[in-house]
Amino acid sequence: MKGKSGYTGKILNVDLDGGTMSEETIPDEIYESHLSGMGLAAALLYDRIPAGADPLGPDNILGIVSGLLTGTGSFFTGRWMVVGKSPLTGGWGDANCGGSFAPAIKRCGYDGIFFRGISERPVYLLVKNGTPQLRDAAHLWGMDAVETEELLIEEHGNGARVACIGPAGENRSLISGISNDRGRLAARSGLGAVMGAKRLKAVVLAGKGRIHAHDPDEMKRLSAACNKWVRFQPPFVSGPFTAKIGALLRVMPTQMAQDGMLFKIILKKWGTACMNQMSIEMGDSPIKNWTGSNRDFGTDRSKPTNPDAIIERERIKYHCYSCPLGCGGICTMEGKYTETHKPEYETILALGGLCMNADADSLFEMNEMLNRAGMDTISAGSTVAFAIECYERGIITKEDTGGLELTWGNAPAIVELVQKMITREGIGDLLADGSKFAAERIGKNSAAFAMHAGGQDLPMHDGRNDPGFALHYSVEPTPGRHTIGAQLYYEMFQLWRKVKDLPKAQMLYSKDRKFETGEDKAIKAAACSKYVNVMNGAGLCLFSAFLGAHRLPLFEWLNAATGWNKTAEEYLEIGERIQTLRQAFNIKHGIKPRTFVIPNRALGKEPLSEGANKSRTVDIEPMIRDYWRLFGWDETSGNPKEESIKRLGIKQ
Amino acid sequence: MSYSITDSCNGCGACARLCPVDAIHGEKKEKHRIDKLLCIECGACGRVCPEGAILDAAGNPCTMIKRSQWEKPRFDRKICTSCNICIDACPVGCLDLSEPDDRKDPHGYPCMKVEKACIGCGFCAAECPVGAVTMAVE
Repeated sequence: MKGKSGYTGKILNVDLDGGTMSEETIPDEIYESHLSGMGLAAALLYDRIPAGADPLGPDNILGIVSGLLTGTGSFFTGRWMVVGKSPLTGGWGDANCGGSFAPAIKRCGYDGIFFRGISERPVYLLVKNGTPQLRDAAHLWGMDAVETEELLIEEHGNGARVACIGPAGENRSLISGISNDRGRLAARSGLGAVMGAKRLKAVVLAGKGRIHAHDPDEMKRLSAACNKWVRFQPPFVSGPFTAKIGALLRVMPTQMAQDGMLFKIILKKWGTACMNQMSIEMGDSPIKNWTGSNRDFGTDRSKPTNPDAIIERERIKYHCYSCPLGCGGICTMEGKYTETHKPEYETILALGGLCMNADADSLFEMNEMLNRAGMDTISAGSTVAFAIECYERGIITKEDTGGLELTWGNAPAIVELVQKMITREGIGDLLADGSKFAAERIGKNSAAFAMHAGGQDLPMHDGRNDPGFALHYSVEPTPGRHTIGAQLYYEMFQLWRKVKDLPKAQMLYSKDRKFETGEDKAIKAAACSKYVNVMNGAGLCLFSAFLGAHRLPLFEWLNAATGWNKTAEEYLEIGERIQTLRQAFNIKHGIKPRTFVIPNRALGKEPLSEGANKSRTVDIEPMIRDYWRLFGWDETSGNPKEESIKRLGIKQ
Repeated sequence: MSYSITDSCNGCGACARLCPVDAIHGEKKEKHRIDKLLCIECGACGRVCPEGAILDAAGNPCTMIKRSQWEKPRFDRKICTSCNICIDACPVGCLDLSEPDDRKDPHGYPCMKVEKACIGCGFCAAECPVGAVTMAVE
């Protein structure tokens, strides 16, 4: 049956000031030029959030959006996105999360729900049987994210899907996120604090509407073909052996362009934990607040978190909505909580190697604590590492920490510090907004040890090992983001197979070339940015892209879902438009893109004296200029040029 | 389009009790109506109506079918990807993931959780991208 086309064409606007709600029809042209999801949100929020709006004030608009492909019969489309002005960076903010919440938005008949204003009292939004209503949330305020979700499901039935904040969001921690599916977090950009400031505790969606595709038979054909690649799963090495692969990649004089299928295979087996040891050994993961290396945190110390050790605790694997891969899992643990989501790579490394913490039990415990609190584990780990370095250097003392011995690898102290950050108790209050704000409060030249870009703490991928990461941390409108691009990603995406004129990755090349920072790298980075923006408009998970563009029928799915007939190049232009809108949003709000430069330490200035990234310095300045020029932005300031804005049809 | 109710309706309310989206309303012994904005075209009302008073979205009259003869989903685990699409598509929440059978395969697979709740709509089978769900009478 041919009929409706991917998106619902409607959004719900909620004004928390007056408690009023209204449906709004979005013109088809918006979807055709921006897709749905992130693109739709960028188009609306660029217009609607006034310049200079206080991110925690009534003028900020917080949106939750679903992807264009979500629910249309395509795979990997379980990502929903939260958007708004970030209180952490002061610019465009977004974060996304998997689970079961993305289709719930569309089953209520909306592509997105947008909140402005501030409620006088805590409320939650309930959409059930086609009727939205704001309800009193006084009984939920103070509860953690898991308790909140469980109570709301008890009240509204098993079919209800819940996104909510925990205590971190209520406390307006600038590193707080929004949780769904019992502690999975849309973590970055600090948008949990925006929800907390609006006194919006939760969004409960219990719609049962159907989502249609223009050509469902073609959608199925494409999905079945894609699934053959997902199912390809040869036997692989043991978990501990992954560390040896990492060591091999470190010492090899040459570099091989990596087919993302290799990553897919280990991801399917272990989840993101597959990279825990490999990454340290090859120099991808920063250690000891970016001052250490595999020499400081070798395989003996990372062994308790090797991939096999993690899945040993896994009780059941889970899949996000429409995901055939299934990288997630529920793990059993001892202590106050008996279960937790399988800790992600970023969590294990941020609270592990970055803090020199080798205690696996404490990592599981903090994973659950932070998930329930609704606090970003990357930022939390990075801020703890910053605090430890300050303590070790005598910048903060035992008096400041409330008696905690904040030394490298002191697991009990790290756990207690994280608890204090969640509750904003003592030194925890000082650290609860991430390392940038903590450094501003502490002073004493501590800013040199705060590893962030524009306020966003850096993820666990080292630009000294892949300059592409350093570049994206700096040029992204939401800085410090590891899910956009890198040299490695470009090789795995294999976009040149779909998009003419993009350079093909060389299969084997000298290791030195990996660390060069020429225009070639900027071209690849720009292509990654555009592609990921298309994915975020479609609602796809980043991990699907690692299948390779020739195995993941993203553009074909979009055409079959909507009835359009766009080329790959036309879709990448949509990606370019979304990226330019997000950058223009920042300019409108007074952000100077140059301020998103990452710290010297993360660029190898001074270079490390040993380990995988020994003697390496990254000069990202030429790449930044090239990247901005390729987007039609001013090479010096990063401001989108007038002609680019006009070419992309962006209204000013 | 949505399902609709003809003048043959005797107001027994069987359809309203079964409708998973609360789209059917009416007084007892009076003609009921379907809210076309809420109707998801699951067809449950048509299968349960003793008067044949329901028309499907194309305007064709529906036929009452004994509940024991309603089709139910069957799952082929060899094809299933555990993607949850079928579970999400079910308007009555009668499907769920199973606990894993053993350590070798830690995945949960879709299974019938509340058989009595199934309305035989077939959305699970229709939305499965790999054809792992089929509908059949037991």
